[in-house]
Formats: sequence, structure tokens, C-alpha cells
Amino acid sequence: MTSPRVRRAVVALAALAVLYALAAELGHGRLPDRIWLGAHYVENVQLLPTFRSLAEEGTFLVESRILLDSIAVSTRRVFLGLLLGSAAGILLGLLTGWAARLEVLADPWVTFFRFTPALALLPLYVVWFGYGETSKVLLIATNVAVITLLGAHQGVRGVPAVYLDAAASLGASRWLRFRRVVLPMAFPTILASVRIAAGLAWVTIVVAELIDARMPSLGYLLALAGAYPRVPTMLIGIATVGALVLLFDLLALLLYAQATRWMERVA
Amino acid sequence: MTASAAAPVLEAVGVGYTYAGRTPTVALEGLGLEVRDNEFVALLGPVGCGKTTLLRIFAGFLRPATGTVRCAGSDIDGPGWQRGYVLQEVAIFPWMTVRENLEFGLLAKGLAPSERRAVSDELLGLIGLSAFEAAYPKELSAGMSKMVEVSRVLATDPSLLLLDEPFGALDAQTRARMQDALARLWEHRRKTVLFVTHDAEEALYLADRIVVLSERPGRVRDEFAVDIPRPRSFETRFSARFLELKRLVWEATGARGAPST
Repeated sequence: MTSPRVRRAVVALAALAVLYALAAELGHGRLPDRIWLGAHYVENVQLLPTFRSLAEEGTFLVESRILLDSIAVSTRRVFLGLLLGSAAGILLGLLTGWAARLEVLADPWVTFFRFTPALALLPLYVVWFGYGETSKVLLIATNVAVITLLGAHQGVRGVPAVYLDAAASLGASRWLRFRRVVLPMAFPTILASVRIAAGLAWVTIVVAELIDARMPSLGYLLALAGAYPRVPTMLIGIATVGALVLLFDLLALLLYAQATRWMERVA
Repeated sequence: MTASAAAPVLEAVGVGYTYAGRTPTVALEGLGLEVRDNEFVALLGPVGCGKTTLLRIFAGFLRPATGTVRCAGSDIDGPGWQRGYVLQEVAIFPWMTVRENLEFGLLAKGLAPSERRAVSDELLGLIGLSAFEAAYPKELSAGMSKMVEVSRVLATDPSLLLLDEPFGALDAQTRARMQDALARLWEHRRKTVLFVTHDAEEALYLADRIVVLSERPGRVRDEFAVDIPRPRSFETRFSARFLELKRLVWEATGARGAPST
């Protein structure tokens, strides 16, 4: 969050943009505009669209409200899924972390889901909950819940015994120790898992929206652009998803810094 | 020995403790100890003699395998504020301010904010940290952190203080200053104290009585009454009586290489 970091980020992004502009201008007129797409040729393909054509495409996408509507719909799904999944995952993780008996019950299930790609659940969710919002939000929530459950569980388990002993010795009940020792100590680990989950939620939604082919949504916007194929739309769609992931991460970081002022260093 | 007819605040009879494992370790065996009201007792012994084990038994975190431990007439059954325990490790809560740390035990007792504040105000003044009330522990020196831990335990007004090498990790100069701070605190707030250390000079400077433990398995090897008047000062450390006792205590700990019992 410090200004040197912001400056470095701006420089890095600018450098990439300049490199891309150079490549696009050099390729303009030299790269093939006719490509083989599995079963047929497609004409008028811009493999590396110039900034000019990106700007034209961007203007169209904004003026037609396609981009903004897609952002609104996809963001809403990610946000709801993240909220629902974090709530469930963190709650369960805190429970299994703090109650040793529950851990025995939960452990094999956590391992099972940990390496099961949540996307594999998509067909099942479509059958159970139908095409539409519910299956998508729940798919994200499932994905997020598994990650945050692990984060919360490990966060609780990682609380040094000395703090718990000191608190018990000062007469703190189990509930007070949980609230005033375990929660603040586990918080950084939990929030780190939410950050990872947020990134994964965007991956999940983009893929999930390919299945339920309906506009507006960023996933289907990318799918349509790929079918045509229309590279400027693709690049704008990818950049939009990237920017949204970055925005979510920034919000998480702000929250993190606010809640961990007591630590030696703020990440 | 101090002439006090009152019943002991802390009493251990025939205490034994063994750590289970592939090769079980007998940490304590047939240990007996009494600490009387308002007495400052130092428990002196070599590293690994079971000092910390004994303190964790008194604090209620371990149950003795044999023997009984009683505090203020009742059996010790689990940790509690009545026996204020300062761990050997750094255990100040880094996510709480100095004041919140000091008030934690009172919060656990259910005291109102104004009552908590009155106690923490007094303690902050006693340890000279009033300016740091809103600071987080990362801003404190190691010595001051430890003093906050000792005061945090004092805040709940326990009947007994158990201090496990509180200044063990400090350099000699800081250590001496912290010993003075602790002595001042203790003179203000008379308490029964059991102070674990492996430093004979520290024990002599602070305690009314020194109990020397043997090497593992730990049991009481010797005892010394420290008949040096209070308040003690820098000069005390070089007085004839201090040096004389230091020699006796050192010899009792086997520092000279005498055959161990």
C-alpha cells in the first residue's frame, strides 16, 4: 500500500503496455488475418489488435452497456459466493480448529474436497439447482468454503499455546479465550485464505458462465469472443477480469492492514 | 526462616512427575515445598531440573503423578487467576495494547470498564509505563514486556505469584533494572511469590528464602533464609552478607563440582 509499491506497479504495467503496443504495431499488416479454426477458415482476424482497434472495441462495449452489465452480473455472483462461502467455511474452520472432537469428523472430508476441483461439481449443481444464479453462486461458495475452512482451521491451530495458557491462567473462560485470543491471532491466516479464495472465485465464475451461455456475463462475453473469434473483445474481457481480481485483492489488503496494526510488519 | 505461624499459601507434599515417552523422564520425585503468606521464595536449580514442571503443576496445567499440591488450603485443580502464573516464554498479547493486556484478567473476572481502568492506571504508574498505555507490545523492550506480564498477573490480585525465569532472556544490566522494578512492585503490593531462576544472585537479591533443587529428578536439596534487610539496593549486591550467602548458595548448587547427592 506504500507509494513506492504503487509506483512500481504503475511502471510495470506501463512497460508491458509499451511492449504490447510495439508488438501490435510491428505485427499490423504482417501477421496473417486468415486462420484455420478446426473445421473452417476465419477471415479478418486481428491476432494482435492495435491500441486503436482496442479503443474502438472498448468504446463499443461500453456504449452498448455490454461490458458494464457483464461486470455487474459477474461481480454480483462472485461477491455473493464469496460472502456465503467465507461465512460457512470460516465458521466450520473455527469450529473444527477449536473443538478437537469435531476435527476428527471433519478431517477426511476436508482432505477429500481440498483436491477435488470444485468446477467438477458444476454439472451436478446444474442438475440440482438448475441453470441460473443459484448454481453459479453455490459453486463459487463451495470453492471458497473449502479454502477458507482450511485457512480458519490452520489459523486456530497455529495460535501459540503460551497465549492460551497465559489467558487460562488469568482466569479467562473458554469462550473469552476464543474471542480475545484465538480470533485475533487466527485473523491474518483467515484473511489470507479469503484472498486466495477471491482469486479462485473469479476463475470459477468465468468457467461457470461458459456453461450457462447467457448474456450479460463476463464468462460468456469471453466465450462469444472466442467463438467468433474476436481478439479485441477477448483482451478487453481478460483485462477486465484481471482488474476486478486486483480490486478485490486490494480491498482485502486494506482490511488486513486495518486489522493487524499490532503486528511487526503489515504485508 | 521467617517466623510466620500462618498456614502455608502453597504446599507440595511428595510431588512426583514423569514425562511419558519412549524413554520416560522422571522430572520430579518426592518433592516437598511450602510457601508462607507474603513470602518471596526463589526456586533455584540447574537447567532441566524440573523447575518449570513444578511451576506448571502449581499453575494447574499439569497434574502431579504422585503427591498433593494445595493452594490456600484447597487442592489445585486446573489453571485459575488465584495463582498468577508468568510463563517463561514471552506471553504478552501482541494484538492488545499495554492497557488491554493489563486489564485482561479483570475482563475475565467481569469487572466494569471503570473498575478495570482504575487498576490498570495504578499498575501503569507503578511500572512507569503510563505513557505507553495505548502502545502495542512491539513498541516495548523485552524487559518492559515482562514487567507488563508480571503486572497483568498482579491486576487480578491473586493469592500467589508464580514467576518462571521472567528475566532469563535479558542481558545483565537490563536484568538488574528489572529486578529492581520487581522488588519495588513487590514492596508496594506485598504478595506471596514463588520465583524460579537459575541465577543465584537474582535469587539472593529478590527472595526471603532460597530453595535449591537437585538435578533431575528434581527434589529439594537445600534451603537458605536470606536475612538481608529491605529495601535492597545496588549496594546490597556487594555487601559482606550478600557475598557470604552467595558463596553458600553457589556451593549448594554444586557449582564447585562437589559430588551431587
